[in-house]
Amino acid sequence: MNLTESSTAFSFLSVLVFAPLVAAAIALVLRDERRVRQWTLLATAAIGVFSLFLLRGFEASTAEFQFVEHREWIPHLGMYYTLGIDGISLLLVLLTTLITPFCVIASWTVVKLRSKEFMICLLIMQTAMTGVFTALDFVLFFIFWEAMLIPMSILIGVWGGPGRVYAAIKFFIYTMAGSVLLIVAIIALRLETGTFSIPALMDQPYDRSFQLWIFGAFFISFAIKVPMFPFHTWLPAAHVEAPTAGSVLLASILLKMGAYGFLRFCLPITPLATIHFAPAILWLSVAAILYGGLTALAQSDLKKIVAYSSVAHMGFATLGIFLLVHHGTIGGALVMINHGVTTGALFIAVGIVYERVHSRDLARAAGLGRQMPIFAFFLGIFCLSSLAFPGTNTFIGEFLVLAGAFETSLILALAIVPGIIVAAAYNLRILQRVAYGGTKNPDHSGVADLGTREILLLTPFLVFILWIGLQPGPFIGLMEASIQNILDIVARSSGALNP
Amino acid sequence: MSAAPYWPFLVYTAMVFILVAGMVIVSSLLGTRHRQRVTGEAYESGMPPTGSARLRLSIKFFLIAILFVIFDLELVFIFAWAISIHELGWPGFWGMLVFVFILAAALVYEWRMGSLDWTERAIERRLGERREAMAKRWKEAEEA
Amino acid sequence: MTPSDLQALLPHIVVAATAVAVMLVISFYRNQTVSAVLTVAGLFAAAACLPFVWSAEADAVPPLFRVDPFGCFHIGLLLTASVAVTVFSHSYLEKYRMERGEFYILLLLSVLGALVLTVADHFISFFLGLELLSVSLYVMVAYIFTKKRAVEAGVKYLFLAAATSAFLLFGMALIYAELGTMAFPEIAAELGGGDGLRSPYLLAGTVLVVAGAGFKLSVVPFHMWTPDIYQGAPAPVTAFLATVSKACVVVVLLRFLAAFDSDAVPGLYLALTVVACASMLTGNLLALLQDNIKRILAYSSIAHFGYLLVAFVAGGPAGAMAATFYLVTYFAATLVAFGVVAYLSPSDREADTVADYRGLFWSRPGPAALLSLALFSLVGLPLTGGFMGKFFLVGAGAEARLWTLLLVLAVSSAISIYYYLRVVVAMYSSIEDTPQTRELSEPFAATPPYGNTVGAVQALLALGLLVLGLYPQPVLAMIQSVTRTF
Repeated sequence: MNLTESSTAFSFLSVLVFAPLVAAAIALVLRDERRVRQWTLLATAAIGVFSLFLLRGFEASTAEFQFVEHREWIPHLGMYYTLGIDGISLLLVLLTTLITPFCVIASWTVVKLRSKEFMICLLIMQTAMTGVFTALDFVLFFIFWEAMLIPMSILIGVWGGPGRVYAAIKFFIYTMAGSVLLIVAIIALRLETGTFSIPALMDQPYDRSFQLWIFGAFFISFAIKVPMFPFHTWLPAAHVEAPTAGSVLLASILLKMGAYGFLRFCLPITPLATIHFAPAILWLSVAAILYGGLTALAQSDLKKIVAYSSVAHMGFATLGIFLLVHHGTIGGALVMINHGVTTGALFIAVGIVYERVHSRDLARAAGLGRQMPIFAFFLGIFCLSSLAFPGTNTFIGEFLVLAGAFETSLILALAIVPGIIVAAAYNLRILQRVAYGGTKNPDHSGVADLGTREILLLTPFLVFILWIGLQPGPFIGLMEASIQNILDIVARSSGALNP
Repeated sequence: MSAAPYWPFLVYTAMVFILVAGMVIVSSLLGTRHRQRVTGEAYESGMPPTGSARLRLSIKFFLIAILFVIFDLELVFIFAWAISIHELGWPGFWGMLVFVFILAAALVYEWRMGSLDWTERAIERRLGERREAMAKRWKEAEEA
Repeated sequence: MTPSDLQALLPHIVVAATAVAVMLVISFYRNQTVSAVLTVAGLFAAAACLPFVWSAEADAVPPLFRVDPFGCFHIGLLLTASVAVTVFSHSYLEKYRMERGEFYILLLLSVLGALVLTVADHFISFFLGLELLSVSLYVMVAYIFTKKRAVEAGVKYLFLAAATSAFLLFGMALIYAELGTMAFPEIAAELGGGDGLRSPYLLAGTVLVVAGAGFKLSVVPFHMWTPDIYQGAPAPVTAFLATVSKACVVVVLLRFLAAFDSDAVPGLYLALTVVACASMLTGNLLALLQDNIKRILAYSSIAHFGYLLVAFVAGGPAGAMAATFYLVTYFAATLVAFGVVAYLSPSDREADTVADYRGLFWSRPGPAALLSLALFSLVGLPLTGGFMGKFFLVGAGAEARLWTLLLVLAVSSAISIYYYLRVVVAMYSSIEDTPQTRELSEPFAATPPYGNTVGAVQALLALGLLVLGLYPQPVLAMIQSVTRTF
């Protein structure tokens, strides 16, 4: 992979990464909070549309990094400003740029205090998230990775619910602990190879024990982010306390950063260690699926249900990725995207409920569907998507993962099945309670159905849920080559091990 | 140089410690100790002491002392320069001129600050001026 | 004294002349703003002389000074920091009804002392610079004499610094007794013989000199004074104490220790390692117990100079470079932090308890954002200069294989997150969380909105922090070129 050659004269990715930052700087000087909101929406929408042009220039048939930019940054230490995307990052970048405008709409009326600072935080987040998915230099990646930590903590800690400070600190400390390990691994790799370039670090014949150590550091740091089963405790706290937009960003994009880390670093840089640890991680993922599902079933707080369902969904993602077979890994990557769409939509739906009844309690929301038929329709589709109903996006992803699991091990595949049933149970529980209610429901007589803004907000999610569900081909096609390349690297190194 | 033995240094250090410790220990051994009604009182030739032993001296004396330190002791440098004037030549002259200029500036400052005022009236007048000026400035600042 | 000597010392001369000029102006026209503007103008003029000094043919003014690019770089750094301190002091002293002009004379004199230290190449200039710096600082610390704490801090600083000077002098005397010279290059030449610190005199002397410098740097075990004096001194003076008065000692120490070959004197480097570890741990652990921001920053500065000593132990051009870069980032962060404290402090007390900062973000997002940025940089979070600074320190340490030190550095930085975060959390938690906080943040209601100058200086420093964190290359290239001689 030749990075020195820039494939486009126009710095497409840099514009994409830094446009939100520029927008934030402009928002900083605007006085009127209403203006700031309008400007943020305009800017993020424009960036979203602009990012779609990536699809035009993207060559899906190759695993090479594209739109590569390579400039000197700190040559003294061998750090370069390198950006580029492949099939995996392309979809995640698009997810980021397309979700952010909806976060702005979702917080249009909810965030009343200091909404200017809120919008600035959102924009900074967008820069950091896009940067994480496009950076091809390890230090650059790390800086973006950490850059998102502060605005996210602020989003939770300032505009969150009653326990926000605790949640923000927990989030900060968990992530920071992971980051420390990550930077240690980065420095160790640098000492070993003399480079920070991510493509150059891939597919190198490192010593096996070295790989195990590096993998360990990577794994813990990314597993915290995903979050995988034993490291997940920050997630419900953060989700429950975060404002709607924060929850959406957290679920749709931040959690993807961990899984992206697995795909981008663990597999290609430490393939031997990946193979070594994969069985254990697979069972951890199964544990996450079952644990997340069962815990979700036991919750009465809507946001907690969705939060724990995230743990289960991300279990599918990591499961798929570490199956290390074609179907499974593609399925895992697709689950990442699907989870971004579906869970984002669910969090917005919960936000809408909260705005109406000022509670996220399932019992308080019971029977809302009678007053809000349009909302019930949307919620129905989202819940069906979340339980992997055929025809929705999640079905495709989880089906691929299951198929991969059957290829690998029958016991593993059978162990997941209860997870799927539980997913159906808790999603239908939400749907049943909120949309239909019981015999005795709280009084919702004053509650209005969705307004135009909210319908506009939810429709795109619906479109994507059905689009991916009915025609997943284009989405899979975009990342197939890149994922196959990663799997080839893993296969090659294991082949080198047992010639 | 380094061949010089360092035992004299050690002996010297030891002597310092012995001397200091000795003075403390010996005086505490030999000193009389009794605590009676008038032990703590000052001895004024048999007269009962009146008033506090602490006197308030006018700040002016301290000012004079400090000014003396500044301006009189600077003479030492000028003496040193004067006896080596030929060796130092013109650069030395310019250097000394700068030195004297700084001293003069300090003198101007002292004078304007009123450190050289001696009579109560002069001090009162200058303090009054300063207070008025300060009050005026703060009033302006508050208005602004 | 030749014309080129004078040219080499131009910044010092300009600063000294400004001090006299400020004194004369005060004599006839008392106005704080005029004094401050004159001070800033003098500092800028001194900085403007730097290009001439840099290109001066003779970079040494033997035997006392050595005005090399390394010194010039630090002169620039110190002058920049002093400008910031002057601006902060101006807005801080505006709140006090007292004679304020003399402050700037003292400030300029201590800056002059610091500048002398940065180019000192001889024990005499070392000592003169240090005394000039310290004596002015005694008064600056106690300048707000209506506050008991300030006077107490001033007296404490006076006693401790004087005692340290005695140690330093004694150490110098011992080295002189042994080697017959006080000039750094000659000491280096004498020690180059290879048998290192061959006599107890020399060893004791070196240890005493390093201890004297360690006092100024407030590294463990010479750190006891730091929290009290940081707390008692007016916030702008604390900023000066934490930055300028430490950096110049770092420069001297770098020059002085460059004379020692680490292989020849393993004991000295072992001692530095121990001091570094102790400082990092003590500073960060004790900071956990504090409720006062100035004390937190004091303990954190103890820890930061522990980090910095890692670069000293690493040695060589990489070490000097890492130390210098770290200083630059530490300067920017510390100045921003104390700048915010100075700005928020009402006239009757310092705004320095963590409770004071509760909900600051809601009442004043600007200072809150700046202070968070500064604290994040001190933590070493990416995006900020602090991250790059620590990164280079770790790089220098890793090159020198100082694994113990790096481990302590990593562990203690992890501990440090907690206490910095406490302040940040307090700033972002909303006022209604606890009923008494509204009352506590009342003083800020009287604080005027950011003045243009203070705001601009703070914003520039914050911008500098970000630039150092994102694109440090220009600064790095410059530092690399000036530290090549080590």
